[in-house]
Amino acid sequence: MVSGLGKHKSETVEEIEIDLVPIMNTFLVLVPFLLLSAAFFHLKAIDTSVPVLADTQKDGQAAGPQEVKVTAVMEIKEKEILLSAISDSLGTEELSTWDTQIAKKGKEAEYPYQKVLVHLRKLKVRYPASDTLIIIPDGSILYDTIVQAMDAARYSDEKPLFPRVVLSGKVS
Amino acid sequence: MALGNRRKNARGFDVPKLQITSMMDMFTIILIFLLTCYSDKPEVVHLEKDLRLPESVAQSDYQENIKLVLSRSNLWLEGEIVATVQDGEIVGLDPEKLNNSRLYQKLVAYRERADKGNLARPDKPGRPDKPDKPDKLDNQDKPEKKAQEHIIFLCDKNIPFHTINLVTKTAAMAGSPNFQFAVLKK
Repeated sequence: MVSGLGKHKSETVEEIEIDLVPIMNTFLVLVPFLLLSAAFFHLKAIDTSVPVLADTQKDGQAAGPQEVKVTAVMEIKEKEILLSAISDSLGTEELSTWDTQIAKKGKEAEYPYQKVLVHLRKLKVRYPASDTLIIIPDGSILYDTIVQAMDAARYSDEKPLFPRVVLSGKVS
Repeated sequence: MALGNRRKNARGFDVPKLQITSMMDMFTIILIFLLTCYSDKPEVVHLEKDLRLPESVAQSDYQENIKLVLSRSNLWLEGEIVATVQDGEIVGLDPEKLNNSRLYQKLVAYRERADKGNLARPDKPGRPDKPDKPDKLDNQDKPEKKAQEHIIFLCDKNIPFHTINLVTKTAAMAGSPNFQFAVLKK
């Protein structure tokens, strides 16, 4: 009896082979299809706006530097970047201390964004509530340059600097 | 030696079995990778051949909205050419009369429909008669929902600002002053 059962067991234990060929066929169709329609670039977005007419609300006159909001202004010219600040809460004298001019080293050279970043960082440290930057490029400035300027001004070491960007044309 | 085994040869030729398990593993990995790419961003953006986007360190994802594409040859709004570009200048977009342009009229049409809550697209006049399906898919495609939000602006990196300014100004005049500038991740 025992030996009979043992014999039966050895007969049933057989290697079962799954037919993988149909699955392979499906994969061979699916993979080229997905490869053809796949996109290997990562599209990201920069939130920005253009100036519109709105009712302005004045900031509190007695507010300290911690609450005062200033708007950084970056003018991109052919050979230089002009930085300044505007605010309803601060006087012209104090605001003028934030005016600076950062020139390109050569005609074909890149703009010195590191210097721009240092200046904007100082402004942010002085007025931490500030978050808006107005970029005013010259007409001939390329879109790529504007995006690079936005990159330099929006975040510093992954901390927000001036994340709200307004792109404006020069008002003559 | 085994080949010379007479007993084995007498049984006949054994069909060799292809070991496809490892190949299956490989295909499974590729398939999972590709499907993950799709689940990351289900929407497909068709980039024009003459459109080179700038690179940026921006991390935000774009949202499904009205698409405005400014390439080196055309200005597209939602897949339709609304103006042509020659030498970096937009033909048919007069800086003095921006509200006469086709771009402005199309954007205003989107805005009006957004305000009225009409589901029809301006270029599909037959649709208002049809009952609206309030399903999820239809909601995603509503122009009025889109018009309230940003415009996704895809622009060639070598286009000068004075040309971009005309487009953004026209959009702002039409009631859409907020944009999402599409960039490639660095």
